[in-house]
Amino acid sequence: MLWVRKLHKWASVIVGIQLLLWLISGLYFNLMDHNKAQGRTHLNDTHADVVIETHRLLEPSTILATFKPSVSLNLMTLLGKPYYLLTHEKGLYNNLNHDYTLVDAYNGNPVVIDTTMAQQLAKASYSGEAEISSTRLLTPPLDDFPKQHNDTWQINFADNITTSVYIEAQSGRLVGHSDEHTRLADVFFMLHFMDYTNQGSFNNIPIMMFAFITLWLTFSGLIWVIDMLKRNRYRLKLKGK
Amino acid sequence: MHKTARTLHKWLMLFLGLQFVIWSVTGTYMVFMHIDYIHGDSLISNPQTKINPDKLEYSLAKLLQTYPKAEQISVGKLMQQDVYRFSIPTKTATQQLMLNAQTGERLSPLNQTTAIALAQYYYLGNEPITDVSLLTDNPPFELSARHLPAWRINFDHFSAPSIYISADSGLVVAKRHAFWRLFDWMFRFHVMDYGDAEEIDNQLLFWIALFSTLAAVSGLTLTYFRVLRRTTNKRKPMLSKRKHSGVT
Repeated sequence: MLWVRKLHKWASVIVGIQLLLWLISGLYFNLMDHNKAQGRTHLNDTHADVVIETHRLLEPSTILATFKPSVSLNLMTLLGKPYYLLTHEKGLYNNLNHDYTLVDAYNGNPVVIDTTMAQQLAKASYSGEAEISSTRLLTPPLDDFPKQHNDTWQINFADNITTSVYIEAQSGRLVGHSDEHTRLADVFFMLHFMDYTNQGSFNNIPIMMFAFITLWLTFSGLIWVIDMLKRNRYRLKLKGK
Repeated sequence: MHKTARTLHKWLMLFLGLQFVIWSVTGTYMVFMHIDYIHGDSLISNPQTKINPDKLEYSLAKLLQTYPKAEQISVGKLMQQDVYRFSIPTKTATQQLMLNAQTGERLSPLNQTTAIALAQYYYLGNEPITDVSLLTDNPPFELSARHLPAWRINFDHFSAPSIYISADSGLVVAKRHAFWRLFDWMFRFHVMDYGDAEEIDNQLLFWIALFSTLAAVSGLTLTYFRVLRRTTNKRKPMLSKRKHSGVT
């Protein structure tokens, strides 16, 4: 039993503080407001019905022949107007590397999302009252969305929770909102996942090492408890001396 | 202080110790298994086959004439074929359709032969298929109901992979394997979700985690007293005790 106790003690020296951080951050996830933590505080996800004048739509075959080869063409609407989104290279998921061209579906002109359009798109997804304070085009990695691999507009609003809206530069897709609530939740995720370099992942070497040592800590503790039970060391002192 | 911490740690861990074991085992599994592998990203290919604009002989105008209510229209590939995909909102649900972009022939819902061909087209392994079934209702827990109807194609591999192909769109809607299924169980145990809802904010977890924090704090107090205090300013007693325990 001596080595079990020694193991327990020294494992606790190494992982003890992190174990406490795991528990505290775990409690935070249990208690947090999930809507706020996901950046939905000022998210407007109602979509106004857009009437497309279908007779004005250009033929996909014409559009596809005009631009470089595509794996897909999607008819979509942005700010009440129809666009064709051409995907030249696709990633397995939206956030992974993509190559897009956005084309006006009525006149066939390629559309590059500039500051003004990015701001309009951001406003359309924003339900708050505040004005835009700044707009920047960011290249990955993004602090607030570490998994986003494509260039993204960041539109900052001057509200009391400093909302930032992220719009993917080539496609106009809303990546998401971040604000003080999401950034606080991100701090707890960083602590829980030991993601101290903000990779947006829990598959990192430090956490693997700590998890391995924690196994020794918990199993040695379990053996210790069982041993104490066997030796009848769990006795309630009902009578005083 | 030392003694209180000892009593507290001893008694709390009698009741919470097993949960600590569960947390560490499930947590270790989740951090060691790479999340992209768990998601099954390595099971399927991501083909970049390009659309041939000359083959789109069936025009969008014709499509809209036949299906005036078509929404979310797209042009894409079904293996080597160019296809239209779109949805038609009905009173109860949204119907998804797929047409051959050359002839306008309706391709959905997919038959078994096409579903198998698609699964083999996407699946990166070369093991044989063990089971094919069409799911129309009551999906298994690993498939969201919004993907129905879907074909499930199982392959003969030790990780028991299942590729789910939408019968309407011909797209891969889910890719699962034994390690995903195990991960799902691990996550449920990790957040103490012993019911059927996937909830992290359950009451059981709250109370257990709260008392566990207390148990960990008392444990850290003990570590502090037994390791740090001793090595910093109580060198002599430690040495003498060491001699003592050597004797006994």
